[in-house]
Amino acid sequence: MKTFAFSKTYNDVTVLNVPELELHPGKIYSIIGSNGSGKSTFAKILAGTLSADQKGIKLEPYISVGYMPQKNYAFRMSTKANILLGGSDKTRAEYLMKALQIDCLASRRADHLSGGETARMVLARLMMKQYNLLILDEPTAVMDMETTFLSENLIQQYTKESNCALILITHSLQQAKRIADEILFFNKGQLWEAGPKEALLNTPIHPETRQFLKFYGV
Amino acid sequence: MLSAFEKAIHLILTVDAELCNILSVTAKMSLSSSIIALLIGVPLGIVLGACCFRGKCILLVLNRTLMGMPPVVCGLLFYMVFSGVGPLRHWKILFTVKIMIMAQVVLITPIVIGNMETYVSGIALAIRETTKGLGLGKLKTFLLLTNECVYQIFSVYLLAFSRAIAEVGAVSMVGGAIAWKTNVMTTAIMQYTNRGNFSLGIALGIILLAVSLLVNIIIFLLQRRLSK
Repeated sequence: MKTFAFSKTYNDVTVLNVPELELHPGKIYSIIGSNGSGKSTFAKILAGTLSADQKGIKLEPYISVGYMPQKNYAFRMSTKANILLGGSDKTRAEYLMKALQIDCLASRRADHLSGGETARMVLARLMMKQYNLLILDEPTAVMDMETTFLSENLIQQYTKESNCALILITHSLQQAKRIADEILFFNKGQLWEAGPKEALLNTPIHPETRQFLKFYGV
Repeated sequence: MLSAFEKAIHLILTVDAELCNILSVTAKMSLSSSIIALLIGVPLGIVLGACCFRGKCILLVLNRTLMGMPPVVCGLLFYMVFSGVGPLRHWKILFTVKIMIMAQVVLITPIVIGNMETYVSGIALAIRETTKGLGLGKLKTFLLLTNECVYQIFSVYLLAFSRAIAEVGAVSMVGGAIAWKTNVMTTAIMQYTNRGNFSLGIALGIILLAVSLLVNIIIFLLQRRLSK
């Protein structure tokens, strides 16, 4: 599938300018970059929660998009009821809750959960459905190591089973290394470099990419 | 003063007919106006808080101005429109409970809208991003948003009711504080105090304070539940 080229300008300052991208089903694309590099803005525009400068620009209508925003929101209802907002299949809800170790929280009010528990609930809620494109904006940022690994396994499994293209925004290069197929490096609102993870991590082309990777100890 | 208190307690305990009439008119006016204000104000507050559209800032400023409108100004406007020389004089509703309810609705609705807008604008973006991310439609989003506002709606209703029951300026101007017809607790307190009949005034004051205390306890409990 192809995304569209777009830009985003705030108060005459262009904060994002990206070209058209070709995404393949069943692959995980990890977006890395410093704060303010435009990663979340990119995700929001693709997900349709923010409009680009090019008004009305959208993904093809046949492409269904799932999106996990950076701020996880839990509705004032039980964890299970929250998850069932994503889809009505109760067996799948049970399976996802078990896989993410939140089955013991099923009847607890979701807005009373901890940050990590809420993130797992939001991930489960999103995986109730199948999408052509799934965008996760720092899904494991507030999780501990154990639940991060659980979530990563589930993300990989979901991508393969549903054959969707998955965009994973992360500040953890280790995470990108573990689960991504390709890495996209964003810098100053532009897609600076993209490619298979081994190539980008081992032989980056741009000095800025090298500097960024060096800073993170890669 | 002590004997006035004793008389006041006696009036409450013996269920004095005039006191009952004042309470009944007050309840009718306060309940009707606060419910109407809620029905108008909640959807408008949700729309203002959740939607972005051209002219929204103007509406917000206008609403905030109306939130601070002095009740006597509201009363004066209604008086001018519905009095014998006003354009709507043929409605013949001046000095009736109907016009008191209308004036109260005009006073309370902006407060309901303002409170709902403030609350909704704090959660709307997160809800919109979440529902959009799940592929849910606009109706489902609106229903989820309204569900998130349930406690706030109760809290706003109680605020509107307590404002309606305690208001005096507008209702005395348009209602005329006519005994057995349009006299409510606040106007009656003023009237009886002016006449030197402290006992009925104190009895009404005690009831008014008791209602206010009850409403505030409920608001406090709701807010505590909201923050949990």
